[in-house]
Amino acid sequence: MFETGIRQFRMAMGMVRGRRLDTGNLARLVDDARKTIAEFGEPGMDVQQIVDGPAGDPGAREHFATQGIRRTAARLAAESPFYARRFAAAGVDPAKLRPGGLGAIPVTTKADLIDRQDEFRCAGTARHLATRTTGTTGRPAEIWLSRYEIELWPALIALSAVLTDELRTSDVMQVNISSRQTAAVHLNAASCRLAGAACRVLGVVPVDEALDALADGGSTLLSASPSYLAELVLGARRRGMGPGDFRLRGIQAGGEVLSPSVAAAVSETFGVERVGDNFGMTEVIPMSARACRQGHLHHDINLGLVEYLDLETSAPAEPGALATLVMTPFFPYRDCMPVFRYDTRDVVRMLPEEPLACELKAGHLLRTGSGDLVTPRQLVEAVEGLPTRPWPARFRASVHNGRLRLTLPAGAVDGFGEAAARAHFAEAGLDVALEIVPDGQAISLRHVRSDLHETTFSARPALIGA
Amino acid sequence: MPADPDVPADLVFQSVFQLCVTIAGAVLCACLAVVYLRKVRVERPAIGVFNGRDIGILVFFLATLPVIYLLLPRWAVTCLLALTFVSALSIGYRNLVGPLRLWLGIGLLLGLNIWLARTMLGTVLGWQLFWLEGDVIMVLAAVAVANLYVQGGMRLQHVAWFALGLAGYDIVFTMVFPLTNALVEDFLGWPLDPSFGMRLGIYNAALGLGDLLVYCLFLVASYKAYGMRAARVALVLVFVLGAVAPSLAPLIINFIDARGDVVVPAQTWFGPFAFLAYLWMRRRYGRERTMREFQLAAPV
Repeated sequence: MFETGIRQFRMAMGMVRGRRLDTGNLARLVDDARKTIAEFGEPGMDVQQIVDGPAGDPGAREHFATQGIRRTAARLAAESPFYARRFAAAGVDPAKLRPGGLGAIPVTTKADLIDRQDEFRCAGTARHLATRTTGTTGRPAEIWLSRYEIELWPALIALSAVLTDELRTSDVMQVNISSRQTAAVHLNAASCRLAGAACRVLGVVPVDEALDALADGGSTLLSASPSYLAELVLGARRRGMGPGDFRLRGIQAGGEVLSPSVAAAVSETFGVERVGDNFGMTEVIPMSARACRQGHLHHDINLGLVEYLDLETSAPAEPGALATLVMTPFFPYRDCMPVFRYDTRDVVRMLPEEPLACELKAGHLLRTGSGDLVTPRQLVEAVEGLPTRPWPARFRASVHNGRLRLTLPAGAVDGFGEAAARAHFAEAGLDVALEIVPDGQAISLRHVRSDLHETTFSARPALIGA
Repeated sequence: MPADPDVPADLVFQSVFQLCVTIAGAVLCACLAVVYLRKVRVERPAIGVFNGRDIGILVFFLATLPVIYLLLPRWAVTCLLALTFVSALSIGYRNLVGPLRLWLGIGLLLGLNIWLARTMLGTVLGWQLFWLEGDVIMVLAAVAVANLYVQGGMRLQHVAWFALGLAGYDIVFTMVFPLTNALVEDFLGWPLDPSFGMRLGIYNAALGLGDLLVYCLFLVASYKAYGMRAARVALVLVFVLGAVAPSLAPLIINFIDARGDVVVPAQTWFGPFAFLAYLWMRRRYGRERTMREFQLAAPV
């Protein structure tokens, strides 16, 4: 009890003063949290303060963000060749920066990160693990992580997850994300280790193998992309499996748009109340966000600054407008290859006071002849909402003569009809001209994360001596 | 039965008087602590469970605090004690009464004690009022702190080791280095004397707050761990070895110090038997209940 108090104090002081956190101290705090849950069944009353962090206090939020930005910028100016040059060119003094006044510093793009990767690495940091973006939306970017980061993030995640009952010692987490997503896989495995839970990393294996592991292996938590979840649902239904076959109590999805149709089907098939819809991105790791039940995206503002910039003017977006997410992870949460004002090109629509759901990738926005912007989320939700359940959504969208043209595989409208499909899209606010192509072309229409299949010997007979 | 000529009559009277005070203090306090456990839930920090190292820290503080008390000037000791009692009472009773009543009550209790100590100790009645008022503070504090610890995850195992550690401490600092004796002498009649006591004629009889706390802890932890059956065993132990044995010990062993005070190391009697009782309970009843299991079995 006394030691725990000291550990909490050390962690809080580290967060407030912006110094490197003692990862060993954090790991021991996770252990304390586990013991607390074992003894009492739940954490004490002021747990929300720990989970929310210093930025949970609205009065202190502005001050905390200002300190975070200044601290991060000062470090980058001194240790990151890319940002030292960028700040000097912009003529900014890191000690005078304010969260609302960063416009003088150009945003960092994915192209910067790919083309000048070495310049992003901070002096004095040792590389430990590289992680890459999946490349489903373009050339992959490679991010190097230090050992400190690799130890820090799982501890922060595990502490929060244990305190909010998202991870229990009795849990078995099945991870069905690409094994090449090294950071995400590591975070899952290390968080489970710290929380005393078991972790089964399977990767994007054939659906039947994943279903067998879920059913027979007693998995209680599942982490997968929405497209893979959609494939799991179809596979489970094909095999006649239902909630009684699984022991799942939680499913977390991320990396793609999770449509309400797929989310409902996942809940129904696997017997979980709700599918967690998370936003995460390799380039801005460890910053993340969660969609609430209303579909609003809530960022963890303890770890960094989130700006919402107008897609055309790059000024702070107005209420109701579409905005690109520009994110800056704070020091000490990012160490080896930090980014500052990273333009994710993931789009959100602003509410009067807070941003709405993530729409994903500004590069895929379409403007129709009437001037309306069509977002990928609208299209994914509309396609996956078809009664034929063409999951995961395969389509190609383009604008011809001012009208939206939607190319779908034949299976998407099979037994439903093109006319009915057009009416369905019209109900969703999309006036589309449909083009139907053979099912064999479906995968080439739109890549999803579940396309990153990982073959196994059990799924396909191995050729020996061929 | 003829009186033993080696035992002075006033020592017999003093021992019997001590027995009455000790029984009243120990049994009343321990029973109230169990009632509190059944009725009230103490707020606890978000993360943290009592463990073995916490017991080590507690014993260390208990061992060093008397030295600090003796070294500090009087006003500083009073301030330190006031701070201790304010913390214990405010944490322990804020769930029972509103903030206004709580702080008013704490202020009145502590303020009255200081006033009584400064103005009323010229008469036996004044002493009795002083003791009585102080006893209320001590009982309330011991009940609150015992529950704070046990509801914070302190297990019977920890209490047993704590009592055993104090047994060693008590005998060393009473018989070898008479620090406890010096403290008893020093505190007598001073504000917020951390003792449960009473006066009759020229005799003062008192039981230290630390002893009260251990008895409360042992009974409460036994009840939490194994239920009423274990609590009965613990209560008998508190009665016999926490109250009766130390009170009557001076009739057999000479605990009279140079000033004529009788200072009995109570934990030396209680600690070893409390530890043996814990071992017996563990063997008989098995694993201790967690706080969660206790709450499920006996919801408030």
